[in-house]
Order: sequence, then C-alpha cells, then structure tokens
Amino acid sequence: MEKLLETQELYTDFNTFEGVVKALNGVSVHVNQGETYGLVGESGCGKSVTVRSMMRIVQSPGKIVGGKILLFFREEDRSRGIDILTRSETYMTSMRGDDISMIFQEASTSLNPVLSIGYQVGESFNFHRRGQILKETVAELEREISNTKFFLAKAWKTLQRSLFKRELRVLNQYESQIDTTDDELYRLENERETASLRRKALLRRRRDHLRETDVLIQFVKRVPFLALYARRLDRTVRAQVVELLRSLGVSNPERIAAGYPHELSGGMQQRIVIAIALACNPILLIADEPTSNLDVTIQAQIVDLIKSLKQTTISSVLFITHDLGLVAEVCDRASVMYAGDVAETASVRDLFHNPLHPYTQGLLRSVPKIQQADTLNTIPGVVPNLIHPPSGCRFHPRCPHAMDICAKEKPPTIEFAPGHTVACYLYTENK
Amino acid sequence: MSLFNYILRRLLFMVLVLFGVSILVFGVLMLIPPGMRVAAYVTSEKIPPNQIEAMIEAYGLNDPAPVQYFRWLGNIFRGDFGFSATAEAPVVQGFKTYFPTTLELVLFSAPLVILVGIWFGTAGAVNKDKPVDHGIRLFAIIGYSLPTFWLGLLLLMFFYGYLGIFPPGTLSNEGKDVIFSPEWNRITGLLTIDGILNWRWEIVWDALYHLMLPTINLIILSSALIMRLMRSSMLEAMGQDYIRTALAKGADRKTLYYLHARRNAMLPVITISGILLAGMLAGMVITETIFTRKGIGWWMARAALQLDVPAIMFNVLFLGIVFVVINLIVDLVYAAIDPRIRLG
Amino acid sequence: MSKNNDSIDKGTEAGNRSANAAAVAGTGPSVRGAAAHPRLKELGFSLKRLIKNPLTIIGLVIILFFVFLAAFAPILAPPPRPFDPFLMPHNGWQIQPSPPSAEAPLGTLPSQYDILYGVIWGTRNAFRIGIAVVAANLLVGVLLGSLAGYFGGIFDEIIMRIADIFYAIPILVMSMALVVAMGRGLKSIVFALIILGWPTYTRVIRSEILVIRDMDYIQAARASGSSHLRILMKHILPNSIFSVIIVGSMRIGVTVIIAAALSFLGLGSDTGYADWGQMVSTCRNWIVGPADNRLAYWYVVFIPGFVIALFVLGWNLLGDAIRDVFDPKMRRR
Repeated sequence: MEKLLETQELYTDFNTFEGVVKALNGVSVHVNQGETYGLVGESGCGKSVTVRSMMRIVQSPGKIVGGKILLFFREEDRSRGIDILTRSETYMTSMRGDDISMIFQEASTSLNPVLSIGYQVGESFNFHRRGQILKETVAELEREISNTKFFLAKAWKTLQRSLFKRELRVLNQYESQIDTTDDELYRLENERETASLRRKALLRRRRDHLRETDVLIQFVKRVPFLALYARRLDRTVRAQVVELLRSLGVSNPERIAAGYPHELSGGMQQRIVIAIALACNPILLIADEPTSNLDVTIQAQIVDLIKSLKQTTISSVLFITHDLGLVAEVCDRASVMYAGDVAETASVRDLFHNPLHPYTQGLLRSVPKIQQADTLNTIPGVVPNLIHPPSGCRFHPRCPHAMDICAKEKPPTIEFAPGHTVACYLYTENK
Repeated sequence: MSLFNYILRRLLFMVLVLFGVSILVFGVLMLIPPGMRVAAYVTSEKIPPNQIEAMIEAYGLNDPAPVQYFRWLGNIFRGDFGFSATAEAPVVQGFKTYFPTTLELVLFSAPLVILVGIWFGTAGAVNKDKPVDHGIRLFAIIGYSLPTFWLGLLLLMFFYGYLGIFPPGTLSNEGKDVIFSPEWNRITGLLTIDGILNWRWEIVWDALYHLMLPTINLIILSSALIMRLMRSSMLEAMGQDYIRTALAKGADRKTLYYLHARRNAMLPVITISGILLAGMLAGMVITETIFTRKGIGWWMARAALQLDVPAIMFNVLFLGIVFVVINLIVDLVYAAIDPRIRLG
Repeated sequence: MSKNNDSIDKGTEAGNRSANAAAVAGTGPSVRGAAAHPRLKELGFSLKRLIKNPLTIIGLVIILFFVFLAAFAPILAPPPRPFDPFLMPHNGWQIQPSPPSAEAPLGTLPSQYDILYGVIWGTRNAFRIGIAVVAANLLVGVLLGSLAGYFGGIFDEIIMRIADIFYAIPILVMSMALVVAMGRGLKSIVFALIILGWPTYTRVIRSEILVIRDMDYIQAARASGSSHLRILMKHILPNSIFSVIIVGSMRIGVTVIIAAALSFLGLGSDTGYADWGQMVSTCRNWIVGPADNRLAYWYVVFIPGFVIALFVLGWNLLGDAIRDVFDPKMRRR
C-alpha cells in the first residue's frame, strides 16, 4: 500500500504555567492510501495532539518543536512527500477542509450557535470551491439573462454575471500562480546552495502576497447595496449543501439547513459536523473520537455512516478512539500510543491476536469479557505526568517486564514482522 | 418557553419592579420633613411660619405613610407631580422643557460610544498582547477611572478656554435669538431635528457645534466599558470549540475573528449597551451641569441644591422607570437576536 | 488493596492531572474542588504573576503613596485649627486663585484655600468613604447573598427582588435624593451609598454560591451531617469569596467617584473643607483665564480632579490585576 501521510519523529510541547508538557515524544506514524487507520490509547496519551499537529491546529501554548510531517497527496510528491512544517500558514488554510478534514468529539460545541447550519456547511464550499461555485452561478445567470425581459432585472443580472466572471478570472490566475510557485518550491526543496535558498525565499514571499481577489471586487463588496450582488452565490452554495445533507441521510435537509445547531439532536449534530468535513471531498478524514459522547445506538449509526462513506467518497480515514472494540470493528491498521510515544503499530488482526508491547497486552487483558467472574484486570500504576515524564521508555514504571535499559534510553522502533512494529527492548535481541 | 411567554413574564416582572421602585422613592420622600415637602404645593413665595403647620395638616402630610403613599400614587397616575420651584412651572411642564436637550445629547453620543467601544475592543482582542492591545487596555482603564466631572472641565479648559472652540451651552447667543423668536416652531425640542424641520440649517450646525465637546467627553468616559467587555468577550469566543472547527475547515484569521468570534462576542455587548444608555442618562446630572446644557440632569442638580422636592422625586422616578424599561428592551432584543432563545 | 486503588479509568480523566489536561489540548472546564495544598502553590504562582505585571506595580505604588499621605497628614500639612483639621487654611480672602508659590506649592483655590493641604487631608476622607462604604456593603451583601444563594426558595425570591428594585434606579440620582432627605454632608453621602450599594455584592456572591452549592463535595458534606453554617463557613464561602473581593476592590474606585460627584454638585461638605469633590467644584468660574493667559488657573481645574483620578486609577489597576490573577477561568495560562 502506498503512504498518504506520514509523521517522522514528531515532537510537540506545551508551554504551560506549571512547566513544559512534553506531549509528543518522537511520534512516527503513517496512514496508507485507502485504509482506515486507528490511533488508540487512553485519555492524555497524545492521540489528539498528534492529529492536531498533523493539521497544524495545535492550540497555544502548544508548539511543534521537531520532526517532519510528510504528505504524499499528489502524484508528483510520490518520491519524497511535502513536509508541511516548512509551509506557510496560507498553504495550510488552503489544505484544511479541502485535502484533510477533521471531525471532533463534542459535536454540540463544535458548531457555531449563531450561524445557520446551511451557512456553516457551505462555508467549506466558499473557502475551497469558490471557482466551481462561480462557474455554476455564471452559467445559471447566462441562462436566466436570455430569458429575462424586465430591463432592471436583466441589468442587475448582467452586472452580477460580469462581476462573477471577473472574480473567476482573478481566482484562476491566482490558483495557477500558486501552483507554479508551489511546483518550483517543491523542486527546490532539498537544495541548499545560496542561490536556491534566495530563490525559495523570494517565492515564498511572493506566494504570501498573492491575492485571491482584486481591488475592484473588494471595493464593490464594501459598497452597501452593491455588495448584495454576492447573495446569488449563496443560492448555489445552499443547493449543494442540501444535496450533501441528503446524501448523508439527513431527512428534510432544506429545513435543517435553514435552522440552527441547538435545534438538533446529538447524533444529528455529529452528522452535520461530518457533512462539514466532507463538503470538499477530502483525501483524508481524521475522526477524533467522534462517538465518545454519544449513546451506543447513535454511535452505531455514525460508525456505519463512516464505513459507508469510506466505500464511496472518502479514500482514507484516521480514526482516534480509546475503545478497542471500535478499533476492531472499523480499522484496518492501528497504532497504540502511550504518554506521547507510539508503543506498537500493526494491522488490527495482528494487534489483537499477537500483541507485542506490554502496554498493548495490558490493554487487551483489561477489557472485561462476558465470562469473567472475578476482579477486573488493570495495569498497575498511573499515567505519568508529562512535565516530568519517566526517563527512557515512558511505560517502564508500570511494565511487568521492565529491564535496566528501559529506564535509561527510549527504545527504538523494531519491525518485528512485516507491517508490525513495536517500540520495546524485549524485541531488540531477536534482531 | 416560547417567545411570547418570555415577553409576558418579563412584562409582569417589570410592573412589579416599578411598583417596588415607587415604594422606594416614596420611602425617600417620607424621610424629608413635612416642612420642606409642603413647599411643593405652594406656587408663590415663602409661607409665613405660622401657616406652615396649618398647611401641613391641610395637605395631609401628617397622615400615616400608606395613606400618603396611595394618595401620592393616585396623583402620579393623574399626571400631577407637583410644582417645581426651580422650573417655576408644574413639574410636567418643566420636564417637557428640559428633556429634549438631554435626549439630543444621549441620542447623538450613544451610537458613537458603542461603535468606538466595539471597534477598539475588537482591535484589542485581535492583536492580543501586542503594543496596540496594551495601549487600548490602558486607554480603557484610564477612561474608566476618570471622574466624569474632571474630564469635562479639562476638555472645557483646553478646547474652549485655550483654543476657543466648542463652547459650552446648547446654542450660541445668536442661535438663542432665533429659537425664542416667533417664527421658530418648536416641534420636537431637539435642536438638530427642529433645525432641519424649520429649515434653519445654521441652527443645526450651531447645535452640533455645541454638542461636540460633551460628546467627546462621553466617548472617552463611556466607551472604555464597552471596549473592555468587547475585548474579553472576543477572547472568550475565540477559545470556544467552534473556532477550532472553523479553523479545521480552512478559515483564515480574518474570518475567524470577524465572523465567527465577533458575532458571538457581540451578544453581551448588546446587553450592556442598554445599561450604558441608562447610565449615560443618569450621568447627565454631571455632564449637563458642567457644559451648562439645560436638560433634566441640570434641572435635577439645581433642584437638589434648592431642595425642590417635587422635581427631585419626579426625576428619580423617571430615571427609575427608564432603567427598568431599558432593561426589558435589552432582554427582548437579546432574545430576538440569540437563536437559542428565540426558538426555545 | 493497592491494585484496585490504582486502577485506571479508561473512559474518564484520571483525577486532577493538570499537566495531562493541558496536553490533551481541549477546552474543558477548570476543576474547582482543589485541595488546600495545590491552592497554596497556586497562590504563590498568582502572587508572582501579580508582581510581574507592570500595571499592578503602578497601582500598588499609587495606593501606597496615598496611604502615606493619609497616615502622615498631620506632619505633612499641620492643621491651622487642630479641632477641625479638615478646615483648609487660607491666606487672606482674595477670591482670585493664586498660582503655585512657596507658601502654597500647588496653588490655591478661590478664596485662597491651600490646594496642597486640601489634597493631603482629602486623602483621609477618600479612604474613609471608600473603605467604609465598601466594607459595609460587603458585609450586608455577603450576608444576604449567602442566604439567597444557599437556602434559595422564598429567601432567594424576596432578596433578589429587593435587589432588583434597588438596582433599577441609578445610584447617582438616588443618592442625590437621599442626601437631600438626610441633609447635606459627607456623613449623609456615606450613608446613602451604603444603603444603595449592596445589591452588586449580593448578586455576585449569590451566583457564585449557586454554582458551588450543587457541586458534589457539598452534597457529600451534607450527607455526612455537617450543619448549614459549617458548610457555609468552611466550604462555600472560601471558594466564592474571591469574586466578591475582586468586585469590592473595583468598587472602591467607583464609590469615591460617586462621592466626589455628589460633593461636586454641592451636596457634600461646605466650602473650605478638604473634600476633593468640593474642591473641584470651586473651579467652575475660573476655567477661562484672562485673554493673555487663558490657562491661567489651570491648577484649580487640574489638580484636585487629578488627585481623584489618580486615587481611583490606583484602585482600578489593583482590582484589575487581582481579577486577572484570581479569575478561575484565566488561572491556567
């Protein structure tokens, strides 16, 4: 399988009041094309921080302090991927919601209470599919103009059409310029001579200064009544939003789109959040514990929805959960994280049938089984404080197989079997 | 509950509070010795001492409190508020004379105060911890600390005393001649509006010119409150989850702040705008005294010094009612705007 | 025994792990039921941050300066009439104010009252008024607010309705009426402000108590048989008192301004007494000087008001800083 996204030795710190929380301690994971990849672990182990680092939306006081995050989205990137940590924020905003999307745990607070559902879902279209929207609206207007007799209406529509066409032209120019700049930056990425560095800096500066719209359009948007011309686009967007909601199984999508988040049930809100994430057909969908706050029946619905979407629209999913049952049901591959480290990575089958890392073994053992009559199994000890984490392997204070070396140095990641890696000294001798 | 029920409940509550206010005001009234209160019923000069007792008895000022209360309340509902010595007219008449001046200043400066506050408050939040932010916070805290009367006096001293512009008062002497001449139609009592209606534009500019300084004064003093609230409200909104969702959608900084955050941040500011308005009205006592604008605040200040009881009581009651009504309106506006309340 | 105690709860957050809570980078509510020890440590953090903030230092310096003035008033400005130190000395009866000179370093008011003297002795008045009013209001407000918030029911309804009624009328105007009723003077001003000022504190403490009252540890205390009084004193008040103190420190400034405004309008002391507001009011005829020196009497206009502004600024800065540091929502950053 081909890699889609990869993190290499990712380190993320949080500079809090009480000290520096070393949340990620060299996390290396990768998601393959077309698979559902699971990230498992307890609360606080760093799963959320990892994916937020991937999208570079880590909240302050957090900061990514080391490592690489490589994307292999385009054909041209196959060989070495784009390290998005070297990219500008403009690049990231164009990517978020378009190539990578994320859905969150608490749907009710994830939606803006004072904006309508239709607006919030449509916002993605406005950000990333503006050209398409413009084109459609222009085509619609052309048809209407030939049919309109009334002079004022015709004039207004003609004005709208010309403004939209202008915007479309500027947008296309902008995008092609961005593309050429990005291409050249990618080609020059690993070159270190002064001339290349200077060229790269120049390109970056130029890229940041490109504008999506030109002065005339911005001016018109400020004029009190003229600015209403853009309302026409909202209609096109709304139609697409309704279609999207319908395809996600939302009944009566027109009414829902006109309404507000607080009118919906928890399950429905989560569907809306999913709709927002899917609006622009992302290449990768990241789901951060999307079902943890829902009751079991709704949970099942959402999981089914994601599974069916996987077969149709989304190609790859990164699923975060602390529920091992869900992992077994939904994921193809999974990584187990503990206190900022990746303990083990394997296909779900291998993970459940042959867990290597003592932590994984402990986790699987502690899942209660129906026949169990005596005390529940637990992993002794407590989750460590990440400001002063344990030295070496962060699990060693609680590990039944801890050795001397475990406290001294962080264990390397060993490939025990094809596709099955583990970070534990128990397996280093065999190699 | 539906919007209708909500409005109904608030209205009933308002009536209750108004009654409470009237009792409170009456309580204060009763603290004043009858000798002073009897002056309210006399339109001419001083009463000879031997007649005071007789008059007190005649007007029932020695009756038990509840009796006097209901009598007083009855008078109020009939529109009889007594006679004001300072206005040299019945209180209601005095109100009609003085209120438009106050209204004009409030209507002119309140929107500016709010806009300035919102603008700077947002700027402070967007540029958090940068020099701009610190400057805005400093300005806000200074504005909040300044005694209302002091700033006005300083402004007068500088602009009017030193530079010679923005004089106090409501109109220049020439303007006053026009106002008191027979051709002038006093329609609303607000000089700017009346100036337009009478098509005497020089009055309009004159009035605006005299409005400048009090407005500047009020802006400096009152926008501080809105600034601080807007800033903290924006910061709180920015910490919410929906900002994270919008960020993950690909929203740029501007959209995040000025659309997603600001709309949510505005709600508390709208609430406080009402309170601000009411507070401005109350503060008119000082502002009008300093800038010699003959509005109800000025009237109240004089009445207090000259122990003009009816005028004092009326103004207190009036302001109390205005406060309560404004609070109700603010609650209703809030309900209309916040979709969560509007749709139950 | 130890094994079960150390069990990890997979679904919920393991206790009060502040570091991990921060690491999850979520926006959960701050946990309030912290034990005493972390609280003391936090106090240390808070105090350190307080000191580091330049605005706090300025506020502190200002207040300390005024405390110094008030405490050493008899030495700094010996009163000409020892039985009534608040009567300002005046060097002659000339109406026109005299500019700053050797005898009167800050100049004089109309009728030659020494401004410096008025400023120094006025500080005592300011402190008296501010602290008396706020302290009295705090007491009454906390009492009533606790009753209303903790016991709820009819207590709550009655107290809050009364508070609403008091809230409905602007303080300045109402206190004017009260002072007129009680007769002019600083005493009346203080009484009026005490009578009118308690609703704010009541509301604040009531809303704090409403939040705390339903928390689990209060239910636990009730279940274990603690009396109401004990719960109030030991659990509820210590947690809610912060907000009220913050409000109180902010209100000292407001109180002094209102009192000064009332004096300015003529409802305070008579002319010639060291009352800042009264001093400001004397300048009204002297805003514009003679044509050749239009700012001639700037000191009458500027200085007394400036002193008031400085005093209030100091308290506001201090109150702001205290609030920034002790506000539970902002504690963690």
